[in-house]
Amino acid sequence: MKKLHKQLLGAGALVLGFLLFDLSVYNLFTKRCISDYSEGMQVKSIELGKYLPFEDSSAIVKLDSEFKLTGEDLPVLDGATALYPVYSAFMNSVYPEGSCKFDGTDFAQDSLLQKRNTVGAYKAVVEGSSDIIFCAEPSEKQLAYAAEKGVELEFVPIGAEAFVFIVNKANPVENLTTEQIKGIYTGKYTRWSQVGGDKTLIAALQRSEGSGSQTAMLSFMDGTEMKKDYNSFLGRSIGYSFRFYVEDVVADGKVKMLAVDGVYPDGESIRSGSYPVIDKFYAIYRKDNDNPNIPPLIDWILSDEGQKIVEDTGYVAIK
Amino acid sequence: MSDKKFVRLIAVICAVGVITSAALVIYTVRLYNNASIISYISKEEVPYEEAS
Repeated sequence: MKKLHKQLLGAGALVLGFLLFDLSVYNLFTKRCISDYSEGMQVKSIELGKYLPFEDSSAIVKLDSEFKLTGEDLPVLDGATALYPVYSAFMNSVYPEGSCKFDGTDFAQDSLLQKRNTVGAYKAVVEGSSDIIFCAEPSEKQLAYAAEKGVELEFVPIGAEAFVFIVNKANPVENLTTEQIKGIYTGKYTRWSQVGGDKTLIAALQRSEGSGSQTAMLSFMDGTEMKKDYNSFLGRSIGYSFRFYVEDVVADGKVKMLAVDGVYPDGESIRSGSYPVIDKFYAIYRKDNDNPNIPPLIDWILSDEGQKIVEDTGYVAIK
Repeated sequence: MSDKKFVRLIAVICAVGVITSAALVIYTVRLYNNASIISYISKEEVPYEEAS
């Protein structure tokens, strides 16, 4: 009987050990990786249905324009997720109603409005399934893909956006210099205390290749290779994104944007150009695309009306 | 319980435990690779240590 007790106790302890290990992993790591968006983040988690053109309840900027595109050969618009509210508003202002075909979850194949995100949109414009895409600068891979297919792309800057660096609200660091940020991502600085913070490890988070913000980060690094970070689960994080995505989470009080070289990324510093990391975004089309509606549409996007849509959606006009 | 049965029981518990833990770790790594940076940073909970 005594032996049986000991055996059961041993088996029970083993089960408990595994349970404790799993619970610890879940609480310390797994839970943190589950993206349960806060209210502020939900506002900017772009749902296709929320920003549809020609819908009364749509959250897009609505502007009545006298300029209208007509005819058969209307350009297919596509682009990055963050810019979808902008080009959906362009369509709403100048395309005929019925140009957008949405089945409740996605756009129909023959819809003139698509949203394939940065990676998909670059592929689509090169292959000719989209006429104009709205994206940040392409990655080297995307440019190489265009070159491989023998396609030349035209890039027309239509707006600008601040590229921001973010940390948790509890992090005492408020400002980093460009050199410090580059040092963090090359592995020169591994503890926050080296850049004015506490002594915890720095977890320098990165995004997947080809995404708009990863391409922007590579451009910020200016050819310096970024080190893959293996402290991410242990350290205190720093990440990057475009201001459009971040500003509502900042308002929620959980995340804060850092000043770079002493300048905080607000509307004024972006407009004046004093914030040092500003990226343009573009209307991009194939140079050999002879769709007659592309030049007038681009002209309209660069007009006061088009630029007002850019500005009212939350970005910075280029003019 | 005979020693043989006990060893079998321990082996089963270890096998199930290792498989479950490995699955959880793989799931966590996959989640991490697809996690939103903003969400990940917003959920940072460990208190900050004073610089020495």
